Amino acid sequence: MAAGAILEIRGLAKRFRARAPGAESPWIIRDLSFSVREGELLTIVGPSGAGKTTLLNMIAQTDTASGGEVRFRAQVAPLGDAKALRPGLSRQIGYITQDDNLLPWRTCLGNVLFPLEVQGRLDGQTRARAQSLVEAVGLAGFENHYPHELSGGMRKRTSLIRTLVYDPPVILMDEPFGAVDAQTRALLQADLLRLWGEGRKTIVFVTHDIAEAIALGDRTLVLSRAPASVKSEHLISIPRPRDIGGILTRPEFVTLYQAIRAEVA
Amino acid sequence: MSALEQASLVESAPGMNRRRLLVMAGRIGLAALLVLAWQVAADTAGDLYFPQPLAVARRIAEDTASGALPWNTYVTLRLSVIGFLLGCAAGILVPFLLRLSPRLTGAVEPYIMASVGVPKYALIPLFILWFGIDDAPKLWLIGLLVFYVVFIAVFAGIRNVDARLVTMARVLGASESVISRRVIWKSLTPFFFAALKIALPRAVSAAIIGEFLVGNAGLGFVIENSRQQVDSTGVFTGILVATALVLAINAVLERADRRVNAWRPVDRHMEI
Ligand SMILES: Nc1ncnc2c1ncn2[C@@H]1O[C@H](COP(=O)(O)OP(=O)(O)OP(=O)(O)O)[C@@H](O)[C@H]1O
Ligand SMILES: [Mg+2]
Repeated sequence: MAAGAILEIRGLAKRFRARAPGAESPWIIRDLSFSVREGELLTIVGPSGAGKTTLLNMIAQTDTASGGEVRFRAQVAPLGDAKALRPGLSRQIGYITQDDNLLPWRTCLGNVLFPLEVQGRLDGQTRARAQSLVEAVGLAGFENHYPHELSGGMRKRTSLIRTLVYDPPVILMDEPFGAVDAQTRALLQADLLRLWGEGRKTIVFVTHDIAEAIALGDRTLVLSRAPASVKSEHLISIPRPRDIGGILTRPEFVTLYQAIRAEVA
Repeated sequence: MSALEQASLVESAPGMNRRRLLVMAGRIGLAALLVLAWQVAADTAGDLYFPQPLAVARRIAEDTASGALPWNTYVTLRLSVIGFLLGCAAGILVPFLLRLSPRLTGAVEPYIMASVGVPKYALIPLFILWFGIDDAPKLWLIGLLVFYVVFIAVFAGIRNVDARLVTMARVLGASESVISRRVIWKSLTPFFFAALKIALPRAVSAAIIGEFLVGNAGLGFVIENSRQQVDSTGVFTGILVATALVLAINAVLERADRRVNAWRPVDRHMEI
């Protein structure tokens, strides 16, 4: 295992069950390997349908793998058997899915408190933390709204802080800012960088927005089209703290952008 | 956009009130019409078939004053509620237990579905044979009727739960029992309430039918006993009170439904 790696993905492969008996189902992911250092913000870009969500599902152990392994702190995940899966690995891997998956019968705040309640950790202190996160992402005043009374971007933010609130050491994010306008997106990215700067979580951030991947990441992986594997790796040496708005015109940014763009296309 | 269009888009409060008033007036009008029809029927068919509305009203007042009617209503209500609770508990528990084992579900499901087809009222003689002539056979009948309605709704509700919500809850650290209570149960409560709206009136009907056959108290007994004495006023009294009982239960249920399922986006067209 690489030194300082908290997550290690080796030779990971996935094909879904064939639709008809006897038919061959295609490989969605094949021979995919990378590792994530403790405290790193790793971004992954890839075209739509490449298998990014499928990859995160396997890391979070919400789906089985067809080959290869995922190690978390040198512990090998039992990915072959659906029954042996441990989704979220006992709260150590948080997962902000592409769909917000909020509980429709709970209010915004109720959803944010949900993980604390089920983990038996709801007290004055954690409640205050939840409230401050609600304020940090601009949801103050909407605490008592049900998901269907929130905008798409607000739902995304709710699902984001629902994971942040219980503080798992690794957080997987699947296009968390996909459904919001450019300004809100920039605000949320800045929020994320700030929160990450304070807590130094390990984050694996999937997106198909190249600019976002560069602006946020310590390192960016580019996935190839299906069957997905790591096509290339880019170290993002732009110093932190970063200014999301100003970064776009920096020469390093432009060079990286063009390089990655050529690979994704 | 013209002012008129705007006015019709934003429904004003007085408009709402007028609509509600109209609906109210319609209801009262219909009730008056029904009583009138009843009176006409009584005048043409005679007391033997159709008692006078006034006679029934007087009987209700007398029997309420003597305490007989409240007592019989209580007997029926108590029986319905106990039978309902038993059937309902089983109807919830069995699907949740089946959820633990897909293989067992696969084995048991066709039998349960086939047994839905058995006419439950036809089992009454059997229940009397097995369980005697106290409350037991009646409770079995009510419980069984309620069980099937609730079972089918809860079973379907569990199957229809959004699997992504369950997965999300697991990732967040919820145990299986927490998932059952806080995710699956919550997402099927609308189904459950729909089932209750069918099951509760059925429970009362089953109690009354049970009382026709067994025992010497309850609204069913009042109806059947009056019939034997050719007392159509007594029959009507029993039917009216039984109907009122079902309506009262429905009203309570409706309120509970609104409270529990307040989070759901409602279809405004169906609102009065
Ligand atoms: N349950 C499934 N059964 C069969 N095929 C699936 C299933 N889930 C995903 N796939 C297939 O796997 C491929 C990758 O899907 P995935 O959702 O991982 O893509 P993605 O990279 O996340 O795309 P996007 O950027 O649009 O979210 C797609 O071709 C999809 O059709
Ligand atoms: Mg995806």
